[in-house]
Amino acid sequence: MTNAARMQPFRRRVRVRNGWTYGVWLLLGALLLWYSTLIPVFGPFQITSISKNSLPLVYLAVGQAIIVIAGGIDLSLGALLLLSNVIAAHFMQGQPVGIVAMIAVVLIAGLALLNALTGYVITRSGVPDIVVTLATSYIWSGLALWILPSPGGGTAPEMRWLFTGSISGISGSPWPPILMMLIPCAVVAIWARRARQGLTLYAIGSSKVAARLSGLDVRRARSVSYAIGGAMAALAGLATVAITGTGDPRFSVGSNATLNSVAAVVLGGIALTGGIGNLFGVVATAVILVILNPILIAMGVNSNNAQVIQGILIAGVMMVGGLVALLRERAS
Amino acid sequence: MRQPSSIMGARGRVGGMTPFRAWLGESPLVSLVGVLILLFLVTGVVQPGFFSLNGIRNTLLQAAPLGILAAAQTVLMLTGGIDLSVTMIATAAAYVAANQSPHGASAAIIMGLLVGLIVGSLNGVGVTIFRVNPLIMTLAMSGILLGLFTAWTQTVLAGATQVAPFIKLLGGGAFLGSIPYSVLVWGVIALLLIWLLRRSGWGRLIYGIGDNEVAVQLAGVRVWQVRLSAYMLSGLLGAISGILLAGRTGAVDLQLADAFLLPSVAAAVIGGTSIFGGVGGYVGTILGALILSVLNSLLTFLNVGQAIQQVVYGIIVLSLAWGYARLTRQNST
Repeated sequence: MTNAARMQPFRRRVRVRNGWTYGVWLLLGALLLWYSTLIPVFGPFQITSISKNSLPLVYLAVGQAIIVIAGGIDLSLGALLLLSNVIAAHFMQGQPVGIVAMIAVVLIAGLALLNALTGYVITRSGVPDIVVTLATSYIWSGLALWILPSPGGGTAPEMRWLFTGSISGISGSPWPPILMMLIPCAVVAIWARRARQGLTLYAIGSSKVAARLSGLDVRRARSVSYAIGGAMAALAGLATVAITGTGDPRFSVGSNATLNSVAAVVLGGIALTGGIGNLFGVVATAVILVILNPILIAMGVNSNNAQVIQGILIAGVMMVGGLVALLRERAS
Repeated sequence: MRQPSSIMGARGRVGGMTPFRAWLGESPLVSLVGVLILLFLVTGVVQPGFFSLNGIRNTLLQAAPLGILAAAQTVLMLTGGIDLSVTMIATAAAYVAANQSPHGASAAIIMGLLVGLIVGSLNGVGVTIFRVNPLIMTLAMSGILLGLFTAWTQTVLAGATQVAPFIKLLGGGAFLGSIPYSVLVWGVIALLLIWLLRRSGWGRLIYGIGDNEVAVQLAGVRVWQVRLSAYMLSGLLGAISGILLAGRTGAVDLQLADAFLLPSVAAAVIGGTSIFGGVGGYVGTILGALILSVLNSLLTFLNVGQAIQQVVYGIIVLSLAWGYARLTRQNST
């Protein structure tokens, strides 16, 4: 048997295993192509705008994905985004770039620690993750409201350039936002697939008992997954302050972000039962969820109906998935 | 069927625990009543006017819609499901009821309940037949409803936002001057639900499905029918709660029931219903709803501002749930 022939089944396995990821990237490409025909001009301006506006949801969805892969769920990520956004806007306003960078680093590390604590509470208390994170989402968004009672604050121009490609947050080069999207996500995705700790997350997600019996520290791994979720939420908050230039403590902003992150994770092919899924698919679905709105508006649908269509799409995709599973079960 | 309240097995020292601790673990509802009384006393100290018929009535008036929403959550959680669209169902039903109010109260109420039943059925079909995860299905449904109603309030539902006088009476009025009608409605629902869950075959199936779905299926039960009925009931209860809420406030808006989502889940969890199914009951949920309502009054009286109120609420819900889990040693790691 030649080498090429031996590679054949391997390649097929890779195709089957990553079929969903390829599918959503194809869908994203098709949607972008379609969008470019819907509007008169499609150039660097649109690419910058799409990539920078996707940043918060992409970060949040990747963070949620890591937690879901490890067998949990975090309904407080949106509230953490609020907290990060508000702290950044409040303390970064008018500061030199060095201090701003320091605040950003402290924020990422701080929220990672904070959410690791949430993960620790979940594993210690025996209270379900949904309940714990719903409760902490109240705590974090309350804190956010306390720090910044009404929208305001600001950040350094360099910070805005990093996430949006221009110091004023308007137009600018598409490269900074694209790189800022890809680098953190690639780091997390490769870590999850290659590092020992990352693989532990997949292991405890598929079976906590089996993972424990093979000597893995389930509690630590779950806390680590929540820590990464917290760090990504902090990044999402920083991106928000860079894009909008202000902090916004409204509760609904956070809860919407949480809902979208869960939707992106599920549509991205990550099983809510844990242990299955690929982070790259989630990046694509997060961008899809963000560009859906401008596409529908370019088609002349009003924005309320756009929300309805988005909901139907999410439920519809999941229904088709369920139906396929059902038919496959019947066939065998 | 395992209900914490009805387990009266071996007493005494279990694994080195004191008899008192073991007794509390076996009948956790006692500690819930303790927490309720404690909170009630603290609230009374903060606001002396609270220790009156009026204070108690206001607490019950607050607790009724929450208790009914939490009832929907309890039934679904017993089957291992959850409904995150229940507050949006409540808002939608209230909106339709207000819109139909010019045609008379009974028409308005029936239309409102119908909305709940339809949305609940859609949720149920998605979860049972298409096997969508309940969390995703109900989240998506909540988004769909919010979008639809935001659009419809400017078009087909652009009419009245004031509810009929009878609904106002039902939501805010009082029977014989002291017992609010909404509490009576809640009481009837509570009695029915407790009876259904404890004594009827349907109730046994609800617990059975949450405990071990495969076993129930192998015993010849059409599991999807039971699940579907649970989601329909949840939609119906959501609609009732929404109509009562609309009656209490007199007018409807799209944020009517928004604030009740976490409390509805929290009331059931504090009351000892497991989110994984099969364990719990409605009596605990009633206590949970009362505790959260008194807590809400306490935080309002303390007048600390919305931000601190949210933080304290979150911390207390978390610690109550934690305390309950410790007491009954439900392990889930």
